[in-house]
Amino acid sequence: MKCLLVFVLRDKCRYLLAWFFLSLALSSAQLLLPAAFSQGPIAVRIDELIHQRADGTLSPLASDEAFLRRIYLDLVGRIPTLAETREFLTRRSPQRRAQVVDALLASDEYPLRMAQLFDVMLNERRGEHVEWRGFLRQAFKENRPWDRITREILNPDVTQNISRGAAFFYTGRLKRYGQVPADVPGLVRDIGRMFLGVDVQCAQCHDHLFIDDYAQVDYQGLLAFVGNTYIRTDHPFPAVAEKQLTEKVQFASVFDGEQKKTGPRLPGGVEFDVPKFEPGEEFLVPPDKKKKTLGVRKFSTLRILAAELPRSDNRGFARNIVNRLWWVMMGRGLVDPLDLHHPDNPPSHPELLETLTDAMIAHQFDIKWFLRELALSGTYQRSSQLPGGFSDGQILLPQSYRVALERPLSAEQLLQSTLTATGVEQSWSIDPTGAKAGQDQSTIAAKEEQQQEWIKLFQAAFANPPKEPEIEIAPSVRAALFLMNDTTFLGWFESRPGNLVHRLAALDGDRLVAEELYLTVLTRRPSTDEILEVHTYLAADPAERTKRLGYLAWALVTSTEFCVNH
Amino acid sequence: MAFKQEVNMTNKFRCPQQEHQISRRRWLGTTAGTTVASWGLGGLIQPSVAESLRRDHKQVLFIWIDGGMSQLESWDPKPNTEFGGPFRSIPTSLPGVYISELLPQTAQIMHKLAVVRSLCTQDNSHSAGVGRIQRGDPKDRGVTYPYFGSAVANLLGPGESALPAYVWVKPGSGGFKHQDAGFLGPQYGALAFGDGQAPSNLSRPEAFDALDDQARNRLREAANRRYAQNRRRKVTDANTYVFDTAQTLMERSDLFDQSTFTRQELQRYGEHDLGRHMLVGRRMLEAGVRFVKVNSYGWDTHGDNFNGHASLMPRFDQAFSAIVRDLSERGMLENVLVIAMSEFGRTPRINGHIGRDHWPEAWSLAMAGCGLQSGVVAGATNPLGTWVKSEEYDIGHMFHTWFHALGIDARHREYVINGQPLPIAHEDCHAIKELLI
Repeated sequence: MKCLLVFVLRDKCRYLLAWFFLSLALSSAQLLLPAAFSQGPIAVRIDELIHQRADGTLSPLASDEAFLRRIYLDLVGRIPTLAETREFLTRRSPQRRAQVVDALLASDEYPLRMAQLFDVMLNERRGEHVEWRGFLRQAFKENRPWDRITREILNPDVTQNISRGAAFFYTGRLKRYGQVPADVPGLVRDIGRMFLGVDVQCAQCHDHLFIDDYAQVDYQGLLAFVGNTYIRTDHPFPAVAEKQLTEKVQFASVFDGEQKKTGPRLPGGVEFDVPKFEPGEEFLVPPDKKKKTLGVRKFSTLRILAAELPRSDNRGFARNIVNRLWWVMMGRGLVDPLDLHHPDNPPSHPELLETLTDAMIAHQFDIKWFLRELALSGTYQRSSQLPGGFSDGQILLPQSYRVALERPLSAEQLLQSTLTATGVEQSWSIDPTGAKAGQDQSTIAAKEEQQQEWIKLFQAAFANPPKEPEIEIAPSVRAALFLMNDTTFLGWFESRPGNLVHRLAALDGDRLVAEELYLTVLTRRPSTDEILEVHTYLAADPAERTKRLGYLAWALVTSTEFCVNH
Repeated sequence: MAFKQEVNMTNKFRCPQQEHQISRRRWLGTTAGTTVASWGLGGLIQPSVAESLRRDHKQVLFIWIDGGMSQLESWDPKPNTEFGGPFRSIPTSLPGVYISELLPQTAQIMHKLAVVRSLCTQDNSHSAGVGRIQRGDPKDRGVTYPYFGSAVANLLGPGESALPAYVWVKPGSGGFKHQDAGFLGPQYGALAFGDGQAPSNLSRPEAFDALDDQARNRLREAANRRYAQNRRRKVTDANTYVFDTAQTLMERSDLFDQSTFTRQELQRYGEHDLGRHMLVGRRMLEAGVRFVKVNSYGWDTHGDNFNGHASLMPRFDQAFSAIVRDLSERGMLENVLVIAMSEFGRTPRINGHIGRDHWPEAWSLAMAGCGLQSGVVAGATNPLGTWVKSEEYDIGHMFHTWFHALGIDARHREYVINGQPLPIAHEDCHAIKELLI
């Protein structure tokens, strides 16, 4: 099919002819699976393997509206605008879903969304840094392969402007707060969790008690890589350096007290030697006080870590990113919890995980390609409504993926979606590189500042505390009080030129109001009942029409349907 | 070398994971826990009468003394012994029972209390111990058990007040602590009021009157009902719960108005954090909150233990004795189970910094009220206070005792999570009979 497309693009006449036949061939397939045409082999395989183990009816594909909302939230971190939704719903091409996936993946908003997603996933709300954000944005803008991103994080290079911000992964954890010491164990743990999908924390003082696969040496071996890392204070940006590791890490189990040693070692991997150097012989490039460089050591554990961990033959590394991206798109890891990969916690779909891992390695850890494959699968595009014949009391295991799982929205996704819905801020965010057409620098700066304020407001209301992974939907009284009473938020539902309520007030007829409202906020058309509800509510007090329009919009924005990704 | 030091140092402080719950019995390969008590629990509670339990409205006041109160400077003094420290013991309102001189006011209400001096628990680190104790240290089944507050919120429900079932009055910041709920799900988490203050956004903006508020919420609720059709109810239920709770709290903003405490009340409870927080706690109980946790921090006296306790204990003494008296005078003690405890006791051995370290092997806690005998001391330590000389009680025994006091049959009642039945308290432990009515 690819060949055909390339071919037809070369020649307009042939293109028309080919298109005609293509449309003919596909019109019947469209009825079954609109996405089928543009599915890659991996997307097809996903569906085969999910179907094989479904053990019961699957929900049908989600409607175009539901799909559009979901894919926007996942790939650009917000709901579609009214104009985007209207335009999409006019499309008749069987490729329309693939088209929107490709357009979003190519958009300027994609790297911004990915930067937020990976910031929350990797740093778990340990604070923000402009260099770190810049690093992530640039990495996803270039679609840097995951193994390269990982290398840049694990061995950050102060001389590389485009990646030095990656050091924030270390500095955010090594920073001391008052009496609280540097969180070295947390750093060791998170290297395991984030890059290998193993949480070896409980193997710090002894072999893991319930997970036979996690030994104390796995923890201590990782510690040997990063335990001698410290924060450099001679740079304005996040930067780390390491002391020379001169001997193996000594440890003993709290149970038997037997003294053991290990050099740097990846969990389950081989141990690296700790070489001895004569004083002054440790450097390939000696430090230079005048130039303020620390030199290059012959033996650097961070360099070894960065070289050895993100390797395509390190199965755990590849599996972890596959599983995490699967979780991002599907709402539950094939291995669940995400950081407990081990033989006694097998994946729900072992063959699928291996297939995806092989494919990810074959595609050189191309995240964009992988997300596209997932997005084009029927599994991703399934409805979140229960399959026919199901009542609530029945068991429907989430790991069957028979119905699309509802997923939480991050504080950032909620903010951008709310801004989009209420029409407060049409542009999703500010282009980090600066010049957007028609915006001068001061406008951009002012907008950026405004956005930061709102983000803080939403993070305070919706984000988890630091170090708490954001995995599940967790409604809170704090969030409910915010949605009901925060004055900034409520101000967005007052009529102001250009915003949603203002637009609604200008519309003639309650049916039009209902359609505009539902399409804008919930990315779907209202049902007859919903139109009637809008009409009844507005007609009851025409004098208060504008206020009531605000309440109608507020009710939809604060509803479950808006606040989750379904 | 600095490197190794760091490793050791950090080892001491880490292990906050809830997964770090393993009964020591398991790796010792013994069954230190005795068999289930053979005596009957008068009037077994069947699930079918759970509703009537809710109407009885039993409540809990859980006073959490974070960091580890020294049993030797409180409930189990050993004056004039090797590890006894400088403080004397004083007689109490209970003939023959002596407690530390740091608890003079509490000594006068000793006849209302039930004290256990034979706790022997399993974890000597704060990070794991706090969760472990508050979760009742159940057998490991690969799931995260709820804190006692979440457990009670689930087993007894919020009651008729419609206030959150589990609130936590604490110094510092507030917020919603859904982690406490473990496998029960976020709606059973704790709503924490930092410094006893109202949560953010509690008051409705002036632009909205009550009718407006009702109207917009009706629209929101209708939208949620439509969304829930054909979907699993879990998300919508949780969302409904938090909005309902938020609305009830908004109506009860008076609960947070500390300016209405009388001068006299403040003097009795103490004009310090713990005193004020205990007063807020009393208000929450009076308003019908099912489970109130009041927190005191700063008890980890590795250094200068005696000056530390000399300054901390009077505040506890004052606030604790005041609330027990008040609950008693108001006739509430019959239905309110009061528990004051830490995650462990402190070492009899006095370290080089004149401090006491962590000691889960032999320590004490105090209780009063609902379902408990008054004026009873259970268990005893040896003369030096180093080990328990009577039957050792683990936190599992306490959970059984508390559940029984609240009218919940911990031997038969189970959580059922994803089809898996889970005992609500450690099945190798039993209720402490001598404490119960």
